[in-house]
Amino acid sequence: MSVEALSKAVNLLAFAELGLTILLIVRTSLEGQVRVFGLQSFVLALLSMLIALYSGSIELFGVGVALVVVKGVMIPRVLNRAVANIGLVRVAAPYLGTAPALIICGLLTIIAFYVMTPIAASNPLPTADAIPLAFAGVLIGFFIMVNRRRAVTQILGFLMLENGIFLLALLSTYGVPFIVEMGVFLDVLVAVLIMEVFVYRIKDNFDSIDVGELEKLKE
Amino acid sequence: MILLSLLSIPLAAAGLIALTRRRALTELLHLLAALATLGTGAAVVAQVWNGAVLTAAGDLLRVDALSAFMVAIIAFLGAIASLYAVGYIRAEFDGEHLFRARLFFSLFHLFVFTMLVAVTTDNLGVMWIAIEGTTLATVFLVNLHQTRSSLEAAYKYLMLSSVGIALAFIGTALMYYAGAAKAGEIAVNWSALRAAAGSLNPEVVRLAFVFIVVGYGTKAGLAPMHTWLPDAHSEAPAPISALMSGVLLNVGLYAMMRFKAVVDAAVGQEFTARLLIGAGLLSLLVAAVFLVRQRNYKRMLAYSSVEHIGIICLGLGFGGHWGTFGALFHVVNHALSKSMLFILSGNILIKYHSAEIREVRGLLHAAPWTGGLFLAGTFALIGLPPFAPFISEFIIFRAGLESHPWAAAAGVILLVIVFGGMLASVNRMLYGEPPADLPRGDTLRVWLAPLAANFALLLVLGLTLPSPFVAALVQVLRVLGV
Repeated sequence: MSVEALSKAVNLLAFAELGLTILLIVRTSLEGQVRVFGLQSFVLALLSMLIALYSGSIELFGVGVALVVVKGVMIPRVLNRAVANIGLVRVAAPYLGTAPALIICGLLTIIAFYVMTPIAASNPLPTADAIPLAFAGVLIGFFIMVNRRRAVTQILGFLMLENGIFLLALLSTYGVPFIVEMGVFLDVLVAVLIMEVFVYRIKDNFDSIDVGELEKLKE
Repeated sequence: MILLSLLSIPLAAAGLIALTRRRALTELLHLLAALATLGTGAAVVAQVWNGAVLTAAGDLLRVDALSAFMVAIIAFLGAIASLYAVGYIRAEFDGEHLFRARLFFSLFHLFVFTMLVAVTTDNLGVMWIAIEGTTLATVFLVNLHQTRSSLEAAYKYLMLSSVGIALAFIGTALMYYAGAAKAGEIAVNWSALRAAAGSLNPEVVRLAFVFIVVGYGTKAGLAPMHTWLPDAHSEAPAPISALMSGVLLNVGLYAMMRFKAVVDAAVGQEFTARLLIGAGLLSLLVAAVFLVRQRNYKRMLAYSSVEHIGIICLGLGFGGHWGTFGALFHVVNHALSKSMLFILSGNILIKYHSAEIREVRGLLHAAPWTGGLFLAGTFALIGLPPFAPFISEFIIFRAGLESHPWAAAAGVILLVIVFGGMLASVNRMLYGEPPADLPRGDTLRVWLAPLAANFALLLVLGLTLPSPFVAALVQVLRVLGV
C-alpha cells in the first residue's frame, strides 16, 4: 500500500467517524443511537487494522480485534439490554434541538481544526492530516453528553468521546502501547457496566431516566 | 519483591473479603490487610529513604522519592481510616445489611490498591488506567447508603470523573507522541520522558499539559472542574470521605506533578506556573464563596478540600525550592487534618442523624472528644498555629510574595474569608444547648483512638518541623527537579 493510498483511506474513514458522531444527534430512538455507536466502533477497528497492515504492527492489529469485541459487540449488547430493561419511559428532550445542535457541531469542528492543525502539521506520519477530525469527534462527544438529558444517551456521548480519543492517539502515534490500550478497554467496559447499574437505579428512584431530575444537591 | 507484595496485599484482600460469609471473618481480614499494607508500605518507604529507587515487573513499577511520599500517605491514612471503618460500619450497617458491609470492605481495599498502582507505576498509561480505576472502585461506595441524594452524587461523580480523565488521556497520548516523535525511541515511561524532556516538541508539550491540568485537575477537585466533589465527598460514608478528600485528591495532584516536572524541563516554568496559579486562585475563590454560610458540615469539609487543593496548586505554581517545598508539606498537612475531620463528621452524623449545621448544637457538651478534636482539626484546617498547616501556608505565600506578589496577595485575602466562614459555621455546631433528648457521651469513642496519631503529627510538624522530615521532602524536590 502506498503512502498516498493510506493517507486517503485514513482521511475517508476518519471523516466517516465524525459523520457517525454527528448522526447520533439526529437519531432520536435509543436503539438507533446504540446501532450508530456500534457501527462507529467497527469503522474505528477497520481503520486501526488498516494502519496495522501498513506499519506491520501485530500489536495494533490485536488492538483492532479487541476493539471489535469490546466496543463493537460487548458494549452495544450491554446498552441494548439496558434499553430493553428500562422499557418505555418518558422521553426527555435535549436542551438544544437538532438544528442548533448541528450548528454547534459545525462550530466545534472549526475550533478543532484551529487548535489541532499546527500540531498535525508538525507530525511526520501520513495519518496526521486527519487529527483535527478526530479532535472534532472528541468535542462533539463532549457536547452530546452535556446536551442530552437521557442517561443512556449521555453514556453514548461518553463512549463516542472515548472513540474520538482512541482515534486521536491512533492517528498521531499509531496507537499507544498494547498493554495500555487493553487496560483502557477494560476500564471502559467496567465503566459502562457500572453506568448500566446506575441507569436502573435512577429509573427505580426517579421513575425516569431524565438526568435533569438530578438536581437536589446544590450549594 | 516488596513492591509486588505492597500491591498484591490489598488486591488479594479485596477478593477474599468478597468471598467471606461471616461478619467477624470479614472484619478480621480487613484489619489484617490494612495493617499488612501499612507494614509493607513502611518497608518500601524506608528503602527509598535510604536512597534506593525500587523497580519491579520490568519497567512497569518504579518507586522514587515522590512515589514513596505518596505511598506513605496512602498507607498511613488508609490504616487510620480502616480502623475507624470497622466501628462506623458496625454502627451504620447492622446484622441485616451484611452484604453492604462486605461490599464496603472489599471495595475499600480495591480503592487502596488502585491508588497504590497509580503512584508506583512508571508507565504514564498504566497510571491513567489506575486513576480511572479509583473512580470505578469508589462509585458504589459513594452510593453505599442508597439514598436518592447519594445516587445523584455517585452518578455525577462517575460521569464527570470519567470525562475528565478521558481528557487526561488526550494529554497522555500527546505527551507520548511528543516523546515518540523526538526521543528516537517510544517513551511512555515517565523516567524516559523526563530524561528526553529537552528534545520534546514544545508546542505539543504545552497542549498536552493543558489537557493534563483539565483532566487530572478534575480528579484533584480543582475549580471549575470541582462540581462533583462536594456531592460525592459529602454523600460517601465517613471513612471513604476521609480517604477521598485526604488521599485521592492528592493522587490527582501527583499525576499533575509528574507531568509538570517533564513540561518544566521542556518549555520552562512560566507556562505551568500561569496555569496552576490561575486554577489555584479560582479554586480558592469558589471555596470562599461556598464556605460562607454553608449549611451542611460535610459539604463544608468538601469545599474546604477544594480550597486546600487550590493552595497546593498555588505553591506548585509559585515554584522554586520554597514554593514546591511548601506545596508538598501542605499535601501532608491537608491529608492529616482533613481525614481526621471527615472521620469525626461520621461520628457527628451517627449521633445527630443529620448533616445540617443547624441541627447540630452543643457538640462540645454532648460529645466532648468528638467536639474537641473537631475544634482542633478546624483550627488546623483554617491555618491557626501551633498546627502544621499554618507553617506550610506561610511558606507557600512567603514564596509567592517574592515570585508572584499579586496572586499571593489575592490568595491571602481569600484565605481570610474562608477563615471567617468556617469558624462561624463550626462555632454554631460546638456551642449552644444540645437537643434535650440527645444522650450524652461520644459515639464510637474507642474507634477515635487512631486519630491521636493525626493530632500528634499535626502538632509535632507544626511546632518543630523535624529534620528527617525536611530531608525526606528535599529528596522529593530533587525528583521533581526543583
